[in-house]
Amino acid sequence: MLEIGPIFRALMRNKVGAVLIAIQIAITMTIIVNSVFMIVERNEKMQRQSGLDEANTFHISSVGFGEGFNPRSTVEADLAQLRALPGVVDAIQINALPISGGGWSMGLQTEPGAEHDGTGVAVYMVDEHGINALDVEVIAGENFAPSDIRWRASRSPTWPNKVILTKAMVEKLFPDSPWADAVGKTVYINDNDPMIISGIIDKLQAPWVGWDNVENAMLSPERMEFTATRYLIRTQPGQRDRLMPEVEEMLASSNKQRVIRGMRTVEEDRERSYRGDSAMIKILTTVMVILTIVTALGIVGLASFSVNRRRKQIGTRRALGASQGAILRYFMLENFLISSVGVVLGAGLTIGLNILLVNTFEMNPMNWYYIPIGMLVLWLVGQVAVYGPARRAAGIAPATATRTV
Amino acid sequence: MLVMNDIKKVFRTDLVETHALRDFNLQVDEGDFVAVTGPSGSGKTTFLNIAGLLETFEGGQYLLDGQDVSQLNDKARSQLRNEKIGFIFQSFNLIPDLDLFDNVDVPLRYRGFNAAERKRRIESALEMVGLANRMKHLPAQLSGGQQQRVAIARALAGEPRFLLADEPTGNLDTKMAHSVMELLKEINQAGTTIVMVTHDPSLARDAKRNIYVRDGKVSELHSVGQELPDAANA
Amino acid sequence: MFSYYLRLAFKSLRRNPILSALMVAAIALGIGSSMTTITVNYLMSADPIPEKSDQLYYVQVDSWDPNNPYDDESNDPPNQLTWTDATNLMRAKQAPAQTAMAKSGGIIEPVNQDDKPFEASIRLAFNDFFSMFNVPFLYGNAWSDVADDERQQVIVLTRAINDKVFGGENSVGRSMVMAGKTFRVVGVMDNWQPTPKFYDVNNGAFDEVEEVYMPFYLKEELELPNWGNTNCWKSPEGEGFKAFLQSECINFQMWVELPTQADKADYLAFLDNYAQEQKALGRFPRPLNNRLSNVMEWMENQQVVADDARMMMWLSFMFLAVCLLNTIGLLLAKFTGKSAEIGLRRAVGASKGDLFAQHLVETGLIGVLGGLFGLGLALLGLEGIKSLYGNFVDNLASLDITLVIVGLLLALVSSIAAGLYPTWRACNIAPSSQLKSQ
Repeated sequence: MLEIGPIFRALMRNKVGAVLIAIQIAITMTIIVNSVFMIVERNEKMQRQSGLDEANTFHISSVGFGEGFNPRSTVEADLAQLRALPGVVDAIQINALPISGGGWSMGLQTEPGAEHDGTGVAVYMVDEHGINALDVEVIAGENFAPSDIRWRASRSPTWPNKVILTKAMVEKLFPDSPWADAVGKTVYINDNDPMIISGIIDKLQAPWVGWDNVENAMLSPERMEFTATRYLIRTQPGQRDRLMPEVEEMLASSNKQRVIRGMRTVEEDRERSYRGDSAMIKILTTVMVILTIVTALGIVGLASFSVNRRRKQIGTRRALGASQGAILRYFMLENFLISSVGVVLGAGLTIGLNILLVNTFEMNPMNWYYIPIGMLVLWLVGQVAVYGPARRAAGIAPATATRTV
Repeated sequence: MLVMNDIKKVFRTDLVETHALRDFNLQVDEGDFVAVTGPSGSGKTTFLNIAGLLETFEGGQYLLDGQDVSQLNDKARSQLRNEKIGFIFQSFNLIPDLDLFDNVDVPLRYRGFNAAERKRRIESALEMVGLANRMKHLPAQLSGGQQQRVAIARALAGEPRFLLADEPTGNLDTKMAHSVMELLKEINQAGTTIVMVTHDPSLARDAKRNIYVRDGKVSELHSVGQELPDAANA
Repeated sequence: MFSYYLRLAFKSLRRNPILSALMVAAIALGIGSSMTTITVNYLMSADPIPEKSDQLYYVQVDSWDPNNPYDDESNDPPNQLTWTDATNLMRAKQAPAQTAMAKSGGIIEPVNQDDKPFEASIRLAFNDFFSMFNVPFLYGNAWSDVADDERQQVIVLTRAINDKVFGGENSVGRSMVMAGKTFRVVGVMDNWQPTPKFYDVNNGAFDEVEEVYMPFYLKEELELPNWGNTNCWKSPEGEGFKAFLQSECINFQMWVELPTQADKADYLAFLDNYAQEQKALGRFPRPLNNRLSNVMEWMENQQVVADDARMMMWLSFMFLAVCLLNTIGLLLAKFTGKSAEIGLRRAVGASKGDLFAQHLVETGLIGVLGGLFGLGLALLGLEGIKSLYGNFVDNLASLDITLVIVGLLLALVSSIAAGLYPTWRACNIAPSSQLKSQ
């Protein structure tokens, strides 16, 4: 510790090199800590569950054409066929898929009237098999009965009188009472149309992964009399990939008045919906790694240079009795001092950049503990980088002092 | 050729002022060969640096070839150095990654000669020091004496009127030192004025005139063969 | 002197190959990452139709909910039109050229019975669409005004669909079955892909253009489905397609071509007037809030440049800064190592200016080398972006000549900026201090 004084004074006489390293460490820390924070955030976002049995679920679209196409009988026939298929757990007709990127949303409100604000909710139109096919659990109230299911005509503005909501949605609608109490209460859709909450399910995400209300979803007891429609099929574990081509072939051949298209697994939906996030994670990781290497090489370069320039001085110190350890310590300590300035500056810049990102890109503010961890890591990087040149300095022979040129 | 009147030079650090030169007076005539001797730290090198326009000074007057140089800017001083002065150093100061041709070429580049003229001068300068056949060699491939010859060729290629040498034989063994000295004498005979700093009295005896510097002053001088007026007795 | 300095610079680089490689690599990495993100941002924010982007205006009128603005934060009017407003504004024909439009889709039943029916996207538009947006034609041309008014079943195909259905032949005059109806082909477009796809950015600003084009009013005639965003603040009054079409739901876009500022002022006055008329009819319950945005204003308003892309660009500039600081440090080390040579050159007559020029050439050389490698890295980076983001960035990840020049200039300027201080310091070394042997 006695050495800090002289090291510091020596540094002050050669400020520029030290300042360069310190700023480099500061900016590196700024980028790395903010990147890590973003990676963690995006990773958390990607880890959210959709509620579906993702590994064993896929969906497929059917688009009817031609004059003779009958949507209602097609849906009934298709569902009967799909549900009878060995290996299929359940199959439903559905208007939109969780985390797929496209769907319907409506507003629900607890009091009727256009003057009241609604809470956004994703709409899934399903029959009584919905609970099973979507792999959700009714945690209060009950599932729809077969008699609840109605046929929805294309572009109908009306709604059934029952609804099942996710727990998250219930908590948003009734923040002041226990969620389970919501069963039996009435909510209003389209400002004035009442729907009675007949059940509450644990979890089901909306189609849009970036939506603030992604946990808000409702099940509406309907089948759709649309020419273009989708089926969601849940299979027994391990059966999905075998069943997919079979289902496609079966639907295509059972009715020539339609086109079968867009068959995709939920895992693919997830991959597509989160592609931007996963790309960002990969890019940020690459940037962090390269940046750390660049900074470390910069430290190695400047430290080697400073060792070379001070060869004679180091030799003299050795000749005067400094041990190898003392020389090693000198350079490690010197780097520690520079890094300290760098990480303190870096802490400020990190917070600054985070504030800027929060304001510009609606990101979340960073947790405080990222800062000390980042400082520690950068300190460590500095010490590791300087170790090589410091070792070489320690290896300089005392005789160097007496040699000229 | 070179006249210094009451030149003062002070080196300052935060704590100390060192008077490197105080009231330094000297006159060197055209065609002279002056050896400057004196103890370590007496101001010999400072004198040489000022004479060669590498350093500025605080007081007094310095006339180079009749021109007062104290007020010149960097560009004009550089040009004067380039045209009128040649330098020879103890450690040769050849540029290690340029071959001999390119090393001798360095001052000529700043002179603005065309390629043919440069080539002619480089070849004749190297010929004069006996190294014309090693033009494409790098300095490291030569002995110390040969390197110093290249440095001399470099100094002469621009045909300066005035050659400044700082311990030119300091890094050489006796035999090589002798041959370099012979070369310098030849150059002097051909008309170039030489000022040489050395600590070796035997070399100094080979010069036409000796001056002794102590504590930043010319404290004693005598000439070889010919008495001079007591110019610098002050 | 320049060639002499260049030769010296090469020699100097060769003298410390590792140090030189580090510097070139640092600049290359900084330039590579910056150029990758600049390219993506540049293409995302590019003017898709520079020859007339300031004459094409996107039309917005505020038909929204009396209780809630369309956008709580910005108070912008709705970003699309209702069917009612789109058709009213089209019938008024107050601009020299105008087109309402919508996205839809349907099944194409190929002429050849062996080919399977397939689904294709449709853009419903007026014939001005093609002239307003300078759409190139391979065969035939746009449909007529009459076709628009009489709701004729005519169709314009993209080149890709023409290749698929008609094997690339000139299909003008032939018929094609789509959405259960028979259409007559009047034109085949040549390759056309505005980037961003400015005319309908809220359905994917970087999507492919639609595959077939047909008169707008066929939406009603053939009851074509709504594709893309549909947004309603109140539900349709009554059942069925008609009721839905007449509702306050927005699914339609409209562009007008207004060559002069006077035209724009006139059109805005017309829109305000129109809104007042609608208020008299009991619609448009909100305060007057109509807007005309030219192409670039609309891209800006719709935030076509993705946040992630902007964020990456910021980070890459910081990355470049680190790389440059690194280079400054290494150059300082390098030039300090050259102080003996600098002293010697000063002694033999080089002025500070001469040496400054020499070292600037040296840093410039490092910069250009770094820039060249950096462009190589940028190409790699763009390939990486393509593989990470998939097809939708295909139009966003290619270097053009402007970008190559920008990249090299950026490398040159930033390396010279990095070299200024080390060079200045090197040139101010007292020559006398370097000439004496230690």
